[in-house]
Amino acid sequence: MELQLEYFLLLGAALFCIGIYGLVTSRNAVRVLMSVELLLNAVNLNLMGFSNFLDPVEIKGQVFTVFVITVAAAEAAVGLAIILAIYRNRDTIDMEQFNLLKW
Amino acid sequence: MDFSSTVASQLNAGVILPEGLVIITLMVVLVGDIILGRNASRQLSYVAIAGLLGSVVALYFQWDNSQTIGFLGGFNGDNLSIVFRGTIVLSTAFTILMSIRYIQQSGTALAEFVSILLTATLGAMFLCGANDLVMIFLSLETLSISSYLLTGYTKRDPRSNEAALKYLLIGAASSAIFLYGVSLLYGLSGGEIRLDAIAAQLTDLSSGQSLGVAIALVFAIAGIAFKISAVPFHQWTPDVYEGSPTPVVAFLSVGSKAAGFALAIRLLVTVFGQVTPEWQFIFTALAVLSMILGNVVALAQTSMKRMLAYSSIAQAGFVMIGLVAGSDDGYASMVFYLFIYLFMNLGAFTCVILFSLRTGTDQIAEYSGLYQKDPLLTLALSICLLSLGGIPPLAGFFGKIYLFWVGWQAGLYGLVLLGLVTSVVSIYYYIRVVKMMVVKEPHEMSDTVKNYPPIRWNLPGMRPLQVGLVLSLVATTLAGILSNPLFNLANSSISNSSVFQTASTPVILSESIINRQSLSE
Amino acid sequence: MNLAEGVQIVSFGILAVMMLGAALGVVLLNQIVYSAFLLGGVFMSISGLYILLNADFVAAAQILIYVGAVNVLILFAIMLVNKKEEFKPVRNRWIRQGATALVCVGLLALLSTMVLATPWAVDTTTVNASSTIIQIGKHFFSDFLLPFELASVLLLMAMVGAIILARRDFIPERKATTTEVETALTLPERPRELSGS
Repeated sequence: MELQLEYFLLLGAALFCIGIYGLVTSRNAVRVLMSVELLLNAVNLNLMGFSNFLDPVEIKGQVFTVFVITVAAAEAAVGLAIILAIYRNRDTIDMEQFNLLKW
Repeated sequence: MDFSSTVASQLNAGVILPEGLVIITLMVVLVGDIILGRNASRQLSYVAIAGLLGSVVALYFQWDNSQTIGFLGGFNGDNLSIVFRGTIVLSTAFTILMSIRYIQQSGTALAEFVSILLTATLGAMFLCGANDLVMIFLSLETLSISSYLLTGYTKRDPRSNEAALKYLLIGAASSAIFLYGVSLLYGLSGGEIRLDAIAAQLTDLSSGQSLGVAIALVFAIAGIAFKISAVPFHQWTPDVYEGSPTPVVAFLSVGSKAAGFALAIRLLVTVFGQVTPEWQFIFTALAVLSMILGNVVALAQTSMKRMLAYSSIAQAGFVMIGLVAGSDDGYASMVFYLFIYLFMNLGAFTCVILFSLRTGTDQIAEYSGLYQKDPLLTLALSICLLSLGGIPPLAGFFGKIYLFWVGWQAGLYGLVLLGLVTSVVSIYYYIRVVKMMVVKEPHEMSDTVKNYPPIRWNLPGMRPLQVGLVLSLVATTLAGILSNPLFNLANSSISNSSVFQTASTPVILSESIINRQSLSE
Repeated sequence: MNLAEGVQIVSFGILAVMMLGAALGVVLLNQIVYSAFLLGGVFMSISGLYILLNADFVAAAQILIYVGAVNVLILFAIMLVNKKEEFKPVRNRWIRQGATALVCVGLLALLSTMVLATPWAVDTTTVNASSTIIQIGKHFFSDFLLPFELASVLLLMAMVGAIILARRDFIPERKATTTEVETALTLPERPRELSGS
């Protein structure tokens, strides 16, 4: 019995679903941002699994993962800056309170 | 032969010359702002426009370039991408013209705004030519992250903050979902990154792979539909359009959307060629929903920005008819319509900006009786709105006719009929604004228009706005009468593009690499 | 089963349980600070999983960037917006949570079916287990050169933009009249409740 590709993919799928759940139900804006990070990590797990089992010579998946990590860091920085700006104006980070714009 | 020299000889870095010009302009603006200080920011934005026009010239000289693949398959600068990149660059140039006065009036720094806008342009341009998964993801994120920043740029305004937060959270989630689909593509193809290589691996769908491909397709479409704001992935659109600075809205509704369509064509046609009926079915559903919901909800809007937001959702629905048709003509009609849409939509936004700068409001009711005070603005806004609605001699009419004709040829009778019906609905709400501006009696003028400030074009930053207004007015009027060159442009961009001869692409590529190697020796 | 494989399986199990538990904690706990620390736990477990996947460089990068930068940034943000905030209860919230949970379980079932049904083309080539850094570096300067350069522009602009949005700045022209101060740095359009009706 060895480590199989499927284990990692299942783990990634589970993490992805947890991230989606957090994304939809969280009320704290910072927690929503954390859920996005979970989603990106689930994708990374997928990519790394594929890279190791399907593409062990070229390991393009690992390079892809490095790019995803980079983008995730940039996205987190921008997201937190926006959250800070909105907190200064509105004094809250409750997603339910953000209803100035309504359709 | 060592590593570096082999790579350098095969890069074919010339294909990204237009993007290179944009990057140089970006650096000039950013560094120039630091050195020269705030007073020079208006001059710097003219520099940015000059750089963008230079990029258009560079794009022109790349037309019909024989070696389109650059960076070892990472970038494909074929004619299709050139048309889309040109559309995006022009939309940015117009956006800068209209944002100079707007941003200064909001009291924020102009040079940073321009440089973030240039980054968004850069991401959108690379997205149009991206030829492997990493490049697609990275350019998509460059475009998205800069769009979040632009949306929240007026940071003292709670509406802008809120729009930015919603856009960021929904956008980040949708790009994560898109990325999950992309990672499945990497796995299903057995470790391939390049689009044509993936397509070559995905030919055999009988053995259990079909579910994986279906999930990858749905996830990828979710990401694309978010970018082109197709219903039901449109929830962010009205909020972001209302809350963000109006020039940003203009860019998002044209530049960002054009990039989304370029991505859709390239990804769907190349990678998902095997499952064409499936994605055409999904896009039919998206087109139907977008046309109905966009046009019907736009009827009820009282704010001009929100009305244009819903109308842009509806316009995306019309463009999707060309995508569903799936023929060369279909893609050509998309290119043609997007190019016309660039002028008429940006013209409409220029008018909205001008009105809101002079009066401080964008309520539709406040436009009543504007004809007596400002005939030029009324004329331009009327022409642009009528063109958006598709009234005959104007450009929008020919674009729509072409889309519907192509759809009819492809046998999409229901979709075309629905398009016709919803166009009639859309004409109603566009005409409503025009009628309000033109035919009102003097005593029915709104208070805002009664207190309309005297028209002064010599205020700082107003002159570029005037130039943009007149240019888009002329383009919208003339593009209808002289649509033949544009039509030929769109057609040749499709017929000369390697995307639509997928089978022959790898051969061309390997030949070009062989040629290159023989040249370097 | 030889010793190496046993160790691999056991450590995979431990890391998987740690990661899932911490991830559930991130989305379910009430205290946002606990969530932030548990997020660090998720990142570290994933880094361990990367080592099991023969990816030493990415494992290190994961720790350095996610734990060292992103997680710390999130903690800073939590401290900056540190207000004791009672979220007003929203009626029928549990219905929404339950529905979301159902959808997520359904999605998980779908994805698991897909993972198990697809015949992955596993490549059994044995590679000599030297460092992956050389291979990754070669990629960065050959076929991934363009994304690599684009990432630099992206990071530069994310930095500039984040600074612009997050810094407190002076409103220009302090001596202007109060109404103008109020409208500075906001959209030139008035809010709807003021302008409408």
